Amino acid sequence: MIDSLTSCDDIKNMANKLKNEVNKNIVGLESLIDSLTISVLVGGHVLIEGFPGTGKTFLASLFGQSIEIDSNRIQSTSDLMPSDITGTQIYNPKLREFEFRKGPVFSNFVIVDEINRAPPKTQSALLECMQERQVSVEGITQKLDEPFMVIATKNSIELEGTYPLPEAQLDRFLFRLIIDYPDELNETEIIRRKIKSLPDLTPQISKSAINEGKSLIHSNVKAEKNIIQYVSDLVLHTSDLPKVVLGASPRAAVALLYAAKGYAAVTEGRTYVVPDDVKTVAFDVLNHRLILRPDALLDLGDTDNNSAILYLQKLIKDCIDDVPVPI
Amino acid sequence: MIEEIKTISEVQNAAIELEKEISNYVVGWSDVIRFLIIGIFTGGHILIEGVPGTAKTYLAKIFSDTMNLSFHRIQSTPDLMPSDITGSHIFNVKTLEFDFHRGPIFANLVLMDEINRAPPKTQAALLEAMQEGQVTVDGVTSILDRPFMIVATKNPIEFAGTFPLPPAQLDRFMARLIMNYPPKESWIDVLEKKNQRGEIVNVNPILNQSAVLSAQKIIQTQITVSDDILSYIADFCRTTRDSNRIILGASPTASVSLLSAARGYAAVVHGRDHVTMDDVKDISFDVLNHRFIIPQIDISSNEQINSDEQKKQLLDQIILKFEG
Repeated sequence: MIDSLTSCDDIKNMANKLKNEVNKNIVGLESLIDSLTISVLVGGHVLIEGFPGTGKTFLASLFGQSIEIDSNRIQSTSDLMPSDITGTQIYNPKLREFEFRKGPVFSNFVIVDEINRAPPKTQSALLECMQERQVSVEGITQKLDEPFMVIATKNSIELEGTYPLPEAQLDRFLFRLIIDYPDELNETEIIRRKIKSLPDLTPQISKSAINEGKSLIHSNVKAEKNIIQYVSDLVLHTSDLPKVVLGASPRAAVALLYAAKGYAAVTEGRTYVVPDDVKTVAFDVLNHRLILRPDALLDLGDTDNNSAILYLQKLIKDCIDDVPVPI
Repeated sequence: MIEEIKTISEVQNAAIELEKEISNYVVGWSDVIRFLIIGIFTGGHILIEGVPGTAKTYLAKIFSDTMNLSFHRIQSTPDLMPSDITGSHIFNVKTLEFDFHRGPIFANLVLMDEINRAPPKTQAALLEAMQEGQVTVDGVTSILDRPFMIVATKNPIEFAGTFPLPPAQLDRFMARLIMNYPPKESWIDVLEKKNQRGEIVNVNPILNQSAVLSAQKIIQTQITVSDDILSYIADFCRTTRDSNRIILGASPTASVSLLSAARGYAAVVHGRDHVTMDDVKDISFDVLNHRFIIPQIDISSNEQINSDEQKKQLLDQIILKFEG
């Protein structure tokens, strides 16, 4: 087990170790594992979106098992209340007093399944914990333990009885990761593995190592002036793209910078950001933050979720092609 | 940390120090910051209209920290109820009585995010607290701590599932300010700041609660307003009612707000002990823009009107008329 990190190379090794462990049980999702590692190291939260049965929750829980931290899972339902997440005051008849019982959000890793099934008030309670990294119940505020990361999942198919997340709340996720169906080879491999029972995962990284990694990325990975200029140009340009009512916000620009720093350290152990880092993470950072005109998808002739994703992929690729890298 | 403010020039100095401390964390938005200061020093509430992700919450929290005030944030949702804001009575088994558990409205500064997503009943509960400075639950009235200020935000993009604020409720906000995406240069400054500082915030308080209250008192008692200015303000609002391009003009409540904001402006920006016509002109758009209604469609060309632009032009015409 890795107990301590001292350099960006250590971060890269740690990320590889994590990936190998999670890969024992899951097939074909390497890049998503890296994205989760980046997110936990830059203090972000992740929304995983995909069709039912593509391994969203499975991936999140395997990732949690590979690090020596607490993890909790919440299944969202339409009658889930804010206090089901944050905790509540419970009457103790012996002392004749109310005591605070911590809710499942008091954990390092919180997996929130099908977040769009929770009613709006509950979603916003969760998002407030994500943003402030603290919980206020009945006027008492408690800090959450670091690292703290929420992995929310959402089915691509919108069913009745769901409450879509408003734009302002989507903006609070560092990444929206899209899981597609596996290709034929991988699908065969998935069922082949199921013949035998899957091995138990053991934690590979300690909690303190993750917290060290967080401060290492902040202080050791440098972003030069031209990178900052590039991030700003790229995000500003999203407002000029065709059929976009409103492009990504300054908060998105900050997220893109953090994600690029994380990517440099996690995938290459590098101590500086290059433009390609920004380009590689751009789609995952930006795809949920663009507000399209209502007719944008009608023009495609098809309004299902898959074509919306394809359209966003094209938009963000065009955006990257349009904006030159400053020297 | 300043504990008491005794003169008008001390009010101005405090405002300069506040702006300086806030600008350590927030890039740009000096107009908004100035109006927040005017608001807290004159007991006004502020509505900020802007898109998500422009640091509205961040700004409000830091603003409140610079004055050592208590701060609460409420995210409005369609299922938010009045008692989620005001608090409610809960049975205490020890005393066999109902205890009042205070809701998040009990703070000096309350940020009400996306106010138009809250249902009308909840908006009304909030607006009552704004107006009266008190909350009544189950017949029991609790006075809110002072200073008390609401900063509400409203997202102009979302329409589905929102409840627009009626004109009578909009009238209770001293000013409506606009916070859309900042100019290009600011984006780079934001990124530079975050690259160096990260998310660490360590605000140095400039004032305390009693200093804010003493500043309110100084503005209330020491800024004089001549009869000329009073009739200028009254005429200004009356003219908006007479214009044939306006569906609904500014109300007498608007005149009162204009007067009180002008006094704050004279003290905070100029450190002056009286209000001038220029003070009224400078703040007229921010104070009046949400209080009069103009047609949404241009009848001659049948095109959608950019109402903020049109309102600005209209007010400029009124100002010119008074000068000519």
